[in-house]
Amino acid sequence: MLDSLLNGFLTVTEPMNLLLLFSAVFIGFLGGALPGISGVILVVILLPVTYGMDSTSAFMLLTAIYGATVFSGLITSILYRAPGTPEAVMTALDGYPMTQRGEAGKALGIGIFSSVLGGTVGTIVLIIFTPLLASVALQFSSPEFFGLAVLGLTVVASLGGRLILGLIGVMLGLFIATIGIDPLTGTERFTFNSLNLSAGVELIPVIVGLFAVSEVLKKAKENDTEKEITKVKIKIFDSSIFRKIRFTLARSSILGVAIGILPGIGASTAAMVSYSETVRWSKHPKKFGKGVPEGIAAPEAANNAAAMGALVPLFALGIPGSGTTAIILGAFVMHGLQPGPTFMTNNSELIYAVFVGLFIVNILILLFSKPFIRMFSKLLNIPYASLGPIIIICCIVGTFSVRNSMFDVWLMLGFGVLGYFLEKIDFPLVAIILGLVLGPIAESELRRSLALSQGDFSIFFIRPISASLISVAILLVCAVIISPIIKKRKAQKL
Amino acid sequence: MLRNKFISIIALMMVFLLVGCGNSSEESAGKSDENYPSGNMKFLVAAGAGGGTDNFARQVQPMLEENLGTTISVVNLPSASGAQAHKRTANSEGNGLTLDFASSTYITSLAAGQNPTGLEQLTPVARMQSDVMTLIVNPNKYKNFDEFYEHAKNNPEDVTIGGTHAASPDKMAFLEFKDATGLDLNFIPYDEQGSVSSNVLSGNIDGMFGEISSILGYMESGEMKPILIFAEERLKDFPEIPTTVEKGWDLTNGNERGVFVSADTPDEIVSKIEQELKNIYDSDKYQEYEKKTNLDFREGWLGSEEYREKLEKDLDKYKKLQKENK
Repeated sequence: MLDSLLNGFLTVTEPMNLLLLFSAVFIGFLGGALPGISGVILVVILLPVTYGMDSTSAFMLLTAIYGATVFSGLITSILYRAPGTPEAVMTALDGYPMTQRGEAGKALGIGIFSSVLGGTVGTIVLIIFTPLLASVALQFSSPEFFGLAVLGLTVVASLGGRLILGLIGVMLGLFIATIGIDPLTGTERFTFNSLNLSAGVELIPVIVGLFAVSEVLKKAKENDTEKEITKVKIKIFDSSIFRKIRFTLARSSILGVAIGILPGIGASTAAMVSYSETVRWSKHPKKFGKGVPEGIAAPEAANNAAAMGALVPLFALGIPGSGTTAIILGAFVMHGLQPGPTFMTNNSELIYAVFVGLFIVNILILLFSKPFIRMFSKLLNIPYASLGPIIIICCIVGTFSVRNSMFDVWLMLGFGVLGYFLEKIDFPLVAIILGLVLGPIAESELRRSLALSQGDFSIFFIRPISASLISVAILLVCAVIISPIIKKRKAQKL
Repeated sequence: MLRNKFISIIALMMVFLLVGCGNSSEESAGKSDENYPSGNMKFLVAAGAGGGTDNFARQVQPMLEENLGTTISVVNLPSASGAQAHKRTANSEGNGLTLDFASSTYITSLAAGQNPTGLEQLTPVARMQSDVMTLIVNPNKYKNFDEFYEHAKNNPEDVTIGGTHAASPDKMAFLEFKDATGLDLNFIPYDEQGSVSSNVLSGNIDGMFGEISSILGYMESGEMKPILIFAEERLKDFPEIPTTVEKGWDLTNGNERGVFVSADTPDEIVSKIEQELKNIYDSDKYQEYEKKTNLDFREGWLGSEEYREKLEKDLDKYKKLQKENK
């Protein structure tokens, strides 16, 4: 393996390939930073360009762009609460409050450090354990995915704010997720005979609307004519903060890789689960959502680690671990490569070049994120009267480009207005996203599991992994219900 | 100085975003085939980027651009099994500038009532690919088709087959197969091909309907095995796999990919496009692509008329199957 790695290193360090990686990181930065333009879209745009390249360069370019977009979603998420990619939604929860407090530099620094660390851990796991982990990932089938989704949904209890509002939010998200054609029977649900609705509601219009547009609307009402010039000073490594977040970083990176490896579940879910676990393990869970470093470190370490993890089943089994990797798989086929279990042995040169490329991408992110973000953060000093409309335009164009649909744009603006009013009553908006992301997984995997077992619910409890996931979820829910009662009792006794 | 930087950043962003939209405007013009194409063309792909239908469209794009001396933009409209692509093509002006690239999913989703654009609103121009439907199993469970058949016959409702989506060619193949063999089998639709494959690999389901081209890697490693081919004759490359027809079942449909235009398009333009596509189909470059992606197991080409007849026949058949299995 060392030989192959060295070979890969030599391939990557060819000047043309280095230039390719460099431009990939820059394109990824830009795309990831713009709300609505996610890694999926960038890879799609660049796919035809790669048909003319040799396979090694093509896949280095695509995977590097993929890695860079997952990272750069955090920039606009922290600065403007406009998540650049779905993966960066959770980062806004604590990142944006820090910006509002004037600590944008600190927040961005934590974000960069956590991302690079998560990405590096992910890449190392990818390099060393790919063949080993791939077979573990196969142990996950419908009952296990259902368990994971249920565990994820219990996160709502740890989001802070009023629990009842969180529950309403999750229900709303779950409801939105049911719109469209039923994936199992093909029945239309809540479509009102509209072709647009039968395609279902995409995640990006909802995220962009609820978070970015609603914030612009809110800001539009504020008076910011006499704003002082903010200087964003980014410090990537701060040892005092590092001491505080090191356990969060370790846990989130490992959790991120583990979730990323599972086929069909991507970096967005990893960020959500890791955030909630961090709240759960924290000594001061009430502070989350108001701007704590752990709240940035957890989702960022996890989503970057998960992005690399999603490549494990792709390389080892030819099964994509997320949306973007599914498109990269299509590119493999176009290059005449045969994805599957023999892929790694047959194309070891290509794979190791891609591995080394990803490693270098993480270094490039570390080196160039600071100057790149400085450009973005200067936009903070533009009067909001000019900046707001620019953000809205980016949101509109980005949302349109997801599936060339004007309907999605209207939907996005509608969710923006909804988000504006919900914010007024301190509604946890992220609960809606939680329902929307995890709902379809939970629903269809529940039904698939029951189809597998011919309607026998014991399938969830005779399989060790799903049994443990579901039991943990049940215990956590019970704990949330019981602990206030115990506290009340104690208070009465005193 | 600072201000200039902002402006350049914003300008850069805008350029970038425009790339993202990538829709060039198309002009309408005369309707005779002499000045065809009368403007820039648009391919609407009824599937997501990176899949077989998308690869097909993007393969044809540069060749057609060169032959016709025009610019073609490709737009993916994957949602609702590509229903949007068909609707937009049907509503486009009948000038042959908007081409719909679709797979058999068009006809299977039409049969299942998930696609409002019927064959009267579209004109099929040509079929260019005809992939072979195959029953694929985990060899740890069944060594060959006879073993599979015996087990399924003696254990009704015990065998579960996977496929993509509820109205896909996979599902129709399953219904056809069930109908012809009289076996009592279950079907579970997954969202992605990857999930189907991983469930076959891990043995959670018994098998799947799919294409040999997508599982060559697993065949090599001995983790998946095609045991039955929907075809009249055995394939040259895989002479050991039995066919449906030799077992006495008349099932030969696979996933097909072709090109459609709006029904308003005059015949001269349709035959002009058909001719252009035929030239591409016969070219070495296109044949090389089919070989590379293993789409050359059987003849893909069908002209406009024959393709329509085939589609109408399939539609009737699938509608009937769909009704019986409600």
